Amino acid sequence: MPAALTSKRHRVEDPADAIEFCFRQGWSDGLPVVPPTEARVRAMLEAARLPPEQQVGFVAHRAVSITAEKVAINAVLAGCRPEYMPVVVAAVEGISDLRFSYHGPGTSTAGAGVLVIVNGPVARELDVNAGDNLFGPGWRANLTIGRAVRLVMRNVCGSRPGTLDRGTLGHPGRLAYVIAENEADSPWTPLHVERGLRAEQSAVTVMAAEGPRQFYNQLSATAEGVLTTLADDMRISGNVMGQPHYCVVLAGEHMRTIAGDGWDKKRIRQFLWEHTRNTHAHLKRTQRMSGAPEPGDETTLRPLLASPEDILVVAAGGRAGAFSCYIPGWSSVKSSQAVTKEVKR
Amino acid sequence: MIELLDPTVEATTRPITYVDRPRSLEGKRIGLVENTKFNSDRPLARIGDLLKTEYGAAGWTMFRKHNSSVPAHDEIVQELSKTCDVMVAGIGD
Repeated sequence: MPAALTSKRHRVEDPADAIEFCFRQGWSDGLPVVPPTEARVRAMLEAARLPPEQQVGFVAHRAVSITAEKVAINAVLAGCRPEYMPVVVAAVEGISDLRFSYHGPGTSTAGAGVLVIVNGPVARELDVNAGDNLFGPGWRANLTIGRAVRLVMRNVCGSRPGTLDRGTLGHPGRLAYVIAENEADSPWTPLHVERGLRAEQSAVTVMAAEGPRQFYNQLSATAEGVLTTLADDMRISGNVMGQPHYCVVLAGEHMRTIAGDGWDKKRIRQFLWEHTRNTHAHLKRTQRMSGAPEPGDETTLRPLLASPEDILVVAAGGRAGAFSCYIPGWSSVKSSQAVTKEVKR
Repeated sequence: MIELLDPTVEATTRPITYVDRPRSLEGKRIGLVENTKFNSDRPLARIGDLLKTEYGAAGWTMFRKHNSSVPAHDEIVQELSKTCDVMVAGIGD
C-alpha cells in the first residue's frame, strides 16, 4: 500500500479545463502546464524512489518545508518526464541549502534566476543539452527541469511576482536555466569533480544568476587572446563592488583554442581574476564607488571577486562559432553561494 | 472528470507573543538594526537621534546584520535583548 498523497484535490471536467484551472489558480509561470493527476505524481515519486512525505528541503528563512510530493506535483506541471525527477530533487536540495540562502535570490529586486549546471552520467542519459543552442530552445530536459525548479519556488516557497518575488526586471532564464557540461569533448576537469565529487557521480550545481552575456572573439588563436576579450567584457558587469560568483561558459571553438595552449581551468580562473580588477578611480568616476577620486586611486585595484575560486568554468555550447559567455552571480559575496549536490538515483 | 493535486502549500500559523509597547520612550535604550545596504545606517541613525532629542530616549546603539537577505543573527538578537528596551529595524534598498 503506497503512502497517501495528502495534497488538496480539485476536480475539473477534462484536460483543457484542467489547464485553464491551473492558470486561474495562479500555479503557472505563464505557459500551459501538464495537469498534475495522482498517477503522474506517483510516477515522479517512484522514479526518485521517494516517499511523498519526505522532506527534500527546508527553507529556513521562510520556514517552508518542501516535501517530495510537492516537488513531484510541480515537476508534473512543468512537463518533466519521471526520470528527470532526481535532478529536480537535487536542484531543490541545492536552493534549500543555507549557503544558497534562498530568501535573497528568491525575492530580490535584482531578479536572479537559478542557473542549474548538470554534470556526470545523468546529463548524457537524460539528454540534457550541452551543445548547440545551449540556453535553448529545443531540449525538453533543460526546459522542464528548470521550469520545475521555478514552479517549486513559486508554488511552495512563495516566490510569486509582486509579492515575495520583487524582481525589477527578471530575465528569461527565470523560466528555465539548465545546462549540462560537455564532458564528452571537454579536455578539462568537470565542474562537479572540481567541487568535490567523483567523475562517475552525477550532480547539479545551482547558482543564483543574472542572464548570460555573450562575448565575441573571432580573431585570436591563443588562450590569452580569447580570455583577454572575456576579461574586458566581464570587468564591468553585475555588481562590480563584490560579485559572489561568475559562471564562465566556454563553447567549442574557444574551448579548443584555450585548451590547445595547455591552459587548465585553474589557470583560466587565475587569469580572469587578475584581469577583471578595476581601479578605484574608474569605479568612482563611473559612480559605482562612492567618493571623489583621490591620489593613488588610479593604481589601486579592486577585484571583481574575492577569489579566483569564485569563478565557475564550464565547457559547453556549440562546436562552431567563436562565441562564449559569462554569467554574473547575484548580489554580494556574503549573500548567496553556489551549491553542488549529488543526484541520487 | 479529472482530479488534480494542489502544488501549493498551506501557510502554517503559529502564535507570536508581542511584548507590551512602552508608554513612553523616556530613558529607554534604543537598538537600531541595519541591513548592510549602502546608506541604510544613515536614516536609522537619524531616527535614533530624533528618538533621543524629541522623545527623551537615553541613547541608541547600532547593530549590523550579516547581510540584507537574512534575519538578524542570534548574537545580535541576544545582545539587543540584554542592552536595549526598544528596537527599530528597517530595510535600506
